[in-house]
Amino acid sequence: MRESLGPPALVVALLVYPFVDRALGLQTVHAVSDGMIYVLLALGLNIVVGYAGLLDLGYAAFFAIGAYAMGLLNSPVLGSPLYGHAWSFWLCIWLAAAVSALLGLVIGAPTLRVRGDYLAIITLGFGEIIPVAIRNLGDVTIEIGTWRPIERLNLTGGENGVNPVGRPVLPGVPFETDPVPWYFLILVVGALSLWAMSRLRDSRLGRAWMAIREDETAADCTGVNPVSTKLLAFALGASFSGFAGSIYAAKLQAITPGAFEFQVSIMLLCMVVLGGAGSLKGVILGGMLITVFDRIVLSQSTFLVRSIGRTVGVPALAAIDLTLWRWFFFGLGLVLVMLLRPQGLAGRRVQPVAADAEGDQPLAPEPSSLPRVEAIPMWLRERMTRAPAAQEEAILDVRGVSKAFGGVVALNAVDLVVPRGAIIGLIGPNGAGKTTFFNVVTGLARTDGGRITFAGGSLIGLRPNAIVARGIARTFQSIRLFPYMSVLDNVLVGEHCRLAATVAGAVLRPPAVIAEERRARERARGLLAFVGLSGKDDDLARNLPYGDQRRLEIARALATEPRLLLLDEPTAGMNPRETETLTDLIGLLRRELALSILLIEHDMEVVMGISDRITVLDYGTRIAEGTPAEIQRHPRVIEAYLGTGYEREPAAPSP
Amino acid sequence: MLELADVHTYYGSIRALRGLSLSVERGEIVTLIGANGAGKTTTLRTILGLVRPRHGTVSFNGARLDALSTDRIVRLGIAQSPEGRHIFPRMSVLENLELGAFVRSDRDGIAPDLERVFALFPRLRERVSQKGGTLSGGEQQMLAISRALMARPGLLLLDEPSMGLSPILVETIFRIIQDINRQGTTILLVEQNARMALRVAHRGYVIQTGRIVLHDAAATLLRSDLVRKTYLGEK
Repeated sequence: MRESLGPPALVVALLVYPFVDRALGLQTVHAVSDGMIYVLLALGLNIVVGYAGLLDLGYAAFFAIGAYAMGLLNSPVLGSPLYGHAWSFWLCIWLAAAVSALLGLVIGAPTLRVRGDYLAIITLGFGEIIPVAIRNLGDVTIEIGTWRPIERLNLTGGENGVNPVGRPVLPGVPFETDPVPWYFLILVVGALSLWAMSRLRDSRLGRAWMAIREDETAADCTGVNPVSTKLLAFALGASFSGFAGSIYAAKLQAITPGAFEFQVSIMLLCMVVLGGAGSLKGVILGGMLITVFDRIVLSQSTFLVRSIGRTVGVPALAAIDLTLWRWFFFGLGLVLVMLLRPQGLAGRRVQPVAADAEGDQPLAPEPSSLPRVEAIPMWLRERMTRAPAAQEEAILDVRGVSKAFGGVVALNAVDLVVPRGAIIGLIGPNGAGKTTFFNVVTGLARTDGGRITFAGGSLIGLRPNAIVARGIARTFQSIRLFPYMSVLDNVLVGEHCRLAATVAGAVLRPPAVIAEERRARERARGLLAFVGLSGKDDDLARNLPYGDQRRLEIARALATEPRLLLLDEPTAGMNPRETETLTDLIGLLRRELALSILLIEHDMEVVMGISDRITVLDYGTRIAEGTPAEIQRHPRVIEAYLGTGYEREPAAPSP
Repeated sequence: MLELADVHTYYGSIRALRGLSLSVERGEIVTLIGANGAGKTTTLRTILGLVRPRHGTVSFNGARLDALSTDRIVRLGIAQSPEGRHIFPRMSVLENLELGAFVRSDRDGIAPDLERVFALFPRLRERVSQKGGTLSGGEQQMLAISRALMARPGLLLLDEPSMGLSPILVETIFRIIQDINRQGTTILLVEQNARMALRVAHRGYVIQTGRIVLHDAAATLLRSDLVRKTYLGEK
């Protein structure tokens, strides 16, 4: 998973490159430096698109904001009252990043409720608004009747932009005349950014971003707050473009709104996609390829083609300008990459593995997969037994909960009580509202009425992640793992709400964060061993066989340190032996950890075998409640659910 | 009717099927049982042309399937109710069912078949205008099976039809499978619920790591040690 920042040879090459360039008289340092600015931008965009999976089509807006923040603060000529004299570049670069991050939050906030296509459209609009606003703020007049408080104020320089923009001042370093200091400045900023990004990616926050990208609902139900997580992606992504924009403005010494048009957003997106979204190496590769091609290869080959045209005598070739064809070549390159390597040049190749493609499993289920008491991780045992002493009998108390979808009543004044440490079965015909009940308890669906009390506090109105933090974890009927994350990372996302590392902590890694992360990994491995998934830490979750995916989902739920576990058909699609293992596991959790469990299940041997009491729903209404023995005899349950042939053999086929 | 001979199917470098051979005769119910990951779903995917075998042949009524596209295979009269349902979530129940009949040209036959499906699953009639995605898991399972039936296939492939269904419905589904079969549809049934599957089937195959390790009359399989220990959970 970990990408190294490059072998020493690469570092040496980067350090000596400008001197080699000068010795050979190539004069490419300028172009390469510009390319590195775009790479830095693409890396910032990668946080939003590659990590958090939010398609941003207007990222150049943040580039513009960074550049104009620098331009306005640092320009010696601009006519607005704010800027009598130029501020230091070294101060402005931080201010620009802060302004960009702030605007990232402002823009991110309204877009958070939308996803996919809609989000892309909103960012597209934003990317268009910023250059237009900059153009029009060059001549601002406010009239109130005859009073003009502001008259012909030039705030942004309008179409002409800001010119000049002050350069950085560092004693003895010729930023005015030489491109080499710029090269090293950008190299240092870029390397620091890369360092920060790689640390962010391997942190609590990075895992949360990827979980959101993989499955937002599942992430929410695993304790990740989607709102703050996505906002952070927007803000941090924007802050890196603030750095890039401000250096760009100072290097060019002039900025115009034309430099931040839609094409720039698209080119940055191309860099990310071409290299491989989510891969730092890939984005650097993609960014360098596109800029080198654009700035060096196209112009050089124009000369070449022209001279060939002259010698061969083809006037069309002799007059060609290949730089005018750049978008043609970009498009062609992108189409080819998408056809041949859809994951990008450096993206991980992902095999199209179907759910049951694991051909090399052992034939017989190994006996070691049976859950053992000794395998329960100590920390989990401590957490569970340390939980506050029972003040009330019931850990979950649901009274009169109703839910309707349009005209369909899914839940009709349902009561259900889970006593502390009990296993309660929830059964009923398909479509009776069992999963809806889970969704209401876990905050995925809002109740239309009724009370839900968990450990003494009401859950009404809480978001799923807040409910996870209170101590309720769940699994899903159709398994919802984070398919393209490793098995270990899936469990670590479960620990998210129990970890404390902040953005600064993730980047700087003080001893407390390092210790926390180490502990988290130990715990996750302990849980994986407990459910029988040792040694599969680095497998992608999607490549696990079905039964293992079910167990991983339970491990992830346990990682949130729940006091109540909701299991939605945990044995569906399992063979008798796997079912038996899982049933033992559930029993163990209750016996050893005093975990309360609410269980939806259609396998009657499981439900009748381990439930203390059973609630039966039919058409959203509770039709029976009682012990397994009572439920088995209950006439309405037999009629609606069990069937008269529950114990009887079905007829043999006529051969 | 259907014949797989020495089929090897790969996902990238992972061998999912390793020389699998099986046949289904007209009028039969044949069941394929095996553990998770043994290659059951891959077998169905190979038959339907969703993955291509690297070696071996798949033929249906004498025609080779392994070079045909999936839609052509379906037009030859094979329909599947896939594992995990895969219904069209934003279309109504009725639209889902009508799409099941997409390949049919006998317009007059569709209405009676719709009635037949509603008779089999009255719950679907109640939800006829509801969007597929808003159905519960079990209802989606009913819809997936019904959609496959609407194609009036010669050969019906069922992938875990009892998964996620209540006991009464499991019983109903297996009874319906027998009914469908008696009405002339040949069925290849993939099931975790080996006990029920072997009770309704004529013949059964046991698949382990991509190979058939046992095949016999279903009643005989029910009595075999391997099946009883590994797939029926008997001690």
